[in-house]
Amino acid sequence: MRLVDRDPIRIRLTGRGGQGIMLGGAILAEAAMRDGLLVSETQEYGPEARLGATKADLIISTREIAYPEVEKADLILCLSRAAYLRYAQSLAEGGLLIADSSMAEEMGEAESTVYLPFRATALELGNELTTNIVGLGALVAMSEVVTRFSLAAAVTGRVKRELAELNNKALEVGFNLGASVQVRLA
Amino acid sequence: MATATKTSTNGKDTRRLIMGNEAVALGAIAAGCDFYAGYPITPATEILEEMARVLPRRGGVFLQMEDELSAMAAIIGAAWGGATAMTATSGPGFSLMQENLGYAAITQTPCVIVDSQRGGPSTGLPTLPSQGDAMQARFGTHGDRPALVITASSVKGCYDATVLSFKLAKRHRMPVVLLLDAVISHMREPVEIPPPPPPPVRSFPKLAEGDPRFGDAPFVPFGYGPITVVTGLSHGGDGLAETRGGVQTEAMIINSISKLDQDPEIRAEWTGDYRLDDAEVAIVAYGITARAAREAVDQLRERGVAAGLLDLRILWPFAEERLREVAAKSKTIVVPELNLGQMVMPVRAAVEGAAKVHQLNRADGTLLTPEDIAAFAISVQGGQGA
Repeated sequence: MRLVDRDPIRIRLTGRGGQGIMLGGAILAEAAMRDGLLVSETQEYGPEARLGATKADLIISTREIAYPEVEKADLILCLSRAAYLRYAQSLAEGGLLIADSSMAEEMGEAESTVYLPFRATALELGNELTTNIVGLGALVAMSEVVTRFSLAAAVTGRVKRELAELNNKALEVGFNLGASVQVRLA
Repeated sequence: MATATKTSTNGKDTRRLIMGNEAVALGAIAAGCDFYAGYPITPATEILEEMARVLPRRGGVFLQMEDELSAMAAIIGAAWGGATAMTATSGPGFSLMQENLGYAAITQTPCVIVDSQRGGPSTGLPTLPSQGDAMQARFGTHGDRPALVITASSVKGCYDATVLSFKLAKRHRMPVVLLLDAVISHMREPVEIPPPPPPPVRSFPKLAEGDPRFGDAPFVPFGYGPITVVTGLSHGGDGLAETRGGVQTEAMIINSISKLDQDPEIRAEWTGDYRLDDAEVAIVAYGITARAAREAVDQLRERGVAAGLLDLRILWPFAEERLREVAAKSKTIVVPELNLGQMVMPVRAAVEGAAKVHQLNRADGTLLTPEDIAAFAISVQGGQGA
């Protein structure tokens, strides 16, 4: 069964406080809802305003979702080292971990892991704060958990109006980044 | 993945993706809340933020207070001024509200207090869930009194429970506590919620000289008749202090309108069932733990254990009769909670040995998972099932 056919599919977005993981979770959940699916999104962060490992857990399904937290994730997006150390082991069998390239050297290669330059791409776009959106674009391009159309609509609806264009650009670049990778989603 | 599961009849998806806390604010607006006073605190802050955004536009009042003592005081004053009033907080603020919560109780003041529970005591685990305030919500004030404590385990449940809280606060003219937790408060789910009604029109009966103001009398705020005296001292129906004790003062606390267990709506909403009819193991849970328990029930059934869930939607008054019915059929009762064992106490008291009651507790800010609950249920059953 392809990863995308798992129902429910469990997704964990992780990073450090300030990287927009909470917003990313809300956007992806809204995209799933716009696709007509059932979804739950829970979040966890520490008391600090910045830094610290944070996560957003999503369960997307065609059936009613009882327990909303993710124990083993089919898909993990990881934007920070602290989040990798804390959450990488929660990857389910046959799952896919998509992490920022900055971690590649230290964490090493694994069949289940794909490194992509989210932060570097966001910096190229002129705003590091779009790292989360670049990451979401790549995650959706690789996994097809939601449609690109719904994701774009959710981004537009959830970011500040003056930043909608920038974020949609980040989404497009992220999507192309993900689409460029040949991953076998087993 | 298959699509298009939830759409309205005209084919347009009318669901909105909102957080539990946003659902509370929307429920409050739907119930006619026109006054909010509070002090921000994780994980309840989004309720305050949403009310600050919405209430002024509807001609309501939003006040950010200097602390939770004053927030509780402000909603009591607002209620007596004719407002439909609420506040929201978490454990540390809820502790500060206890004195005035007692004042609201003895003065029979309708108001709603949301406590989104986080790890404690004290500032504890500010961002992590807990169910440590279940007993405080019932017994936190000194003295004794009837108490109404409602809970929720989904985003739509947050909305419905809020509407119910306001209805019951008015009907029974008492403070109602809506007890949530950090996960339910911050969880997003798609929900269908009707558009908000127009701002409420205040309407109360007119009081005449000599009409009773307290006890079995309806709640009538200031300005609808002659002077009403409001005191935290024991008082008679006229509101005048009556401090010699005796039957009259107790009757003020246990008045006929606070006979909560006879309210048909409370009886209807008290508990929810899931696969309970033929259950040999009944899991009794509430809030986020009820969500884990629901999945645990399915896992147990797959492993050949006839399990079911009794979801406590109204914690207090406690659903004693329903527990006795469950205990008569299910000889094993499991009570998972994110505390050191609180609602398990009234469960034990209610079943009085008719079933074995086992508690599963966790108070470190981590949720009990479906696997935790299922494995525990199997272990207390003596390893029955696979």
